[in-house]
Order: sequence, then structure tokens, then C-alpha cells
Amino acid sequence: MLPYLTKALTNLVKKPVTEKFPAGDPPKAAEGYRGRIQYDPEKCINCGMCMRVCAPQCMHRDIEKLENGDQKITFTFDLTSCTFCSMCADFCARHAITLSDDYMIVGTQPEDFLVTGTFVKKAPPPKPKFTPEQIAAMKAKAEAAKAAKAAAGGATPKPKLTPEEIAERKAKAEAAKAAKAAAAQQGEA
Amino acid sequence: MFDKLIDNSMAKSPWIFHINAGSCNGCDIELVSVLTPRYDAERLGFRLTGTPRQADIVVVSGPITLQTRDRLVRTLAQVPEPRVVVSLGSCPRSGNVFKGSYAIDGPLDKYTHVDVSVGGCTPKPEAIVAALAQAAEILREKRKEMHK
Repeated sequence: MLPYLTKALTNLVKKPVTEKFPAGDPPKAAEGYRGRIQYDPEKCINCGMCMRVCAPQCMHRDIEKLENGDQKITFTFDLTSCTFCSMCADFCARHAITLSDDYMIVGTQPEDFLVTGTFVKKAPPPKPKFTPEQIAAMKAKAEAAKAAKAAAGGATPKPKLTPEEIAERKAKAEAAKAAKAAAAQQGEA
Repeated sequence: MFDKLIDNSMAKSPWIFHINAGSCNGCDIELVSVLTPRYDAERLGFRLTGTPRQADIVVVSGPITLQTRDRLVRTLAQVPEPRVVVSLGSCPRSGNVFKGSYAIDGPLDKYTHVDVSVGGCTPKPEAIVAALAQAAEILREKRKEMHK
């Protein structure tokens, strides 16, 4: 009897268990809650892993080519399509995607549920370009060299390197090696 | 003469009708928990009703499956105007993980206007309460527009 009575009395003076929510601030979500997606375009490298692992295919990627060869990449996460499984965040190598504890995903328009981010991906440095005259000059040079070689080779077919020359080169290389080793030892000392 | 009085009193107690259009039951449980003492939506006047003919706010959960599609359309047609449709969770708006399935014929926008949506899989009860409060506001405006 007594336990019930004490319980009844404590309940009499206790605050109501009902949350006051629409009146005040919404209470904080539990630790580890997976809510609204947050996307940091500065960290993203456009590897596309999140799109691969997303079961409901909730993200969309727009790639716009800029004039200087760079790519303007826009990621859009549709939260009305999301399962909040956190797979994209787990697989993101650069931690560009995180799931916050914001659970107030309420809206009247489809735009209220979109999380977007844009970044510019730099193009690789361009290869050196030659003018037609330069190319023609290089071609002519190469052909002249070829012709000279053919003329020289045709006249006297000589061996590429004599044995003495080879020995000389070997000795040179070994000396260089020794010098390097000595320098390294000195550096260590 | 009494129209204004009736409108004002009806705005204070919007009744909810819940349609499960193939939901996994997660959102349904959260919607029911909104009516429990902890979140207590009834203090704001919301009440779960058993018939669509008495409803002001229709809460739809689940991707629209082929089996529930005809029932959903028929039930929505029975709800008197002005009505507010609330989509609960990700499923009614997009199909969620069931997107592209042969058994799904969504999204909900195909069959009716969707006034308020709650995101989340499943949404937290607080988010549902916030959405219902917003829906009640929209309902009040709609009724005002209607009786102008």
C-alpha cells in the first residue's frame, strides 16, 4: 500500500511529462541521431562514392563545364528521398557529408527539403602547345638527323661503342657512386 | 450567421485521418506516439478519427503501393473540403528505397495536393507535431478563403 501511496504523492507534485514543444524550442535529439544531411562542398572531391552507396538514390549531381576547362559540380541531396542510413557519410573519404541532429525537416515546398553545395573542380594543367611552324621545324630537324644518320651509317657501319669506351663509362659511374656514398656518410655524420 | 462561430470552433479542433498506403509501420507508430501523453497532440485539438468523412487533415504514410492506390484515391475523395494533406516520412513524396519497384505507383502528388510534408525515416514525433500545427494553420486559411 505504502509504495503506491508514495508514488501517488510524488506524482501529485511532479511536473507533467508532456513536452511543451510547439510552445518552446524543440528538445535536443539523442546522441548519434541521424538527421538533416550537411554537405561541405569545400571538402568534396567528386569521387561519387556517396551516389554509389545510396540505396534510394537521393542525390543528384550536375556537372557544368566552364570555359577554362574547369568543372562546376553541384550536389543536391533530396531529403524527401533519404533513408538517413548514413551510408554516404560513412563512405565519404573526405568527410564532406555529415548527418546532423536537426530533425525538424518540415516544409510545404519541395525546395525546403533540398541540401545543395557547389564547388569548382580545377582542370589538369594543359599540355604545351606548338604552332604549326614549330612543328614543321621539328619535323624537318628530325628528318635531317635521320638522313645524316642514314648517310653516315650507310658509309661506314661502325660498332656503337668500343670496349674501352664502355670500361671508361663504367669507371666514371662507379666513381660517381662512391662520391655520393661519401657525401651521404658525411651528411649522416 | 453562425458560420464564423462554427469556423472558429472547427479551427480549434482539426481531426486527423490516417491513411497507411503501404507504409512499413514506422511512421504509423510515430504518429500514434504523437497522441500519447508525452507529446499529447490532443491538447492542441487534434484527434484521430475513424472515418474520412469527419476528417480535416489527412495524414498519408507509405509509398503508394498498387494495392492501396485505389483505396487511397477513394478515401481521399470522401474527405470534405477544405482538406489538408500531410505526407509523413520520405515514402509518400518519393518512394524512398522502394523507388522504381513494380509494386509502387507513387508519389503522392500524382493523386492529390500535398500541403505539408515531414521528412525523415521515420520523422521524430516533435517534427510531426510541428507539421500538424502548420497543417492546422493552413486549414484555417483555407476555410477562411472558402467562406469569404
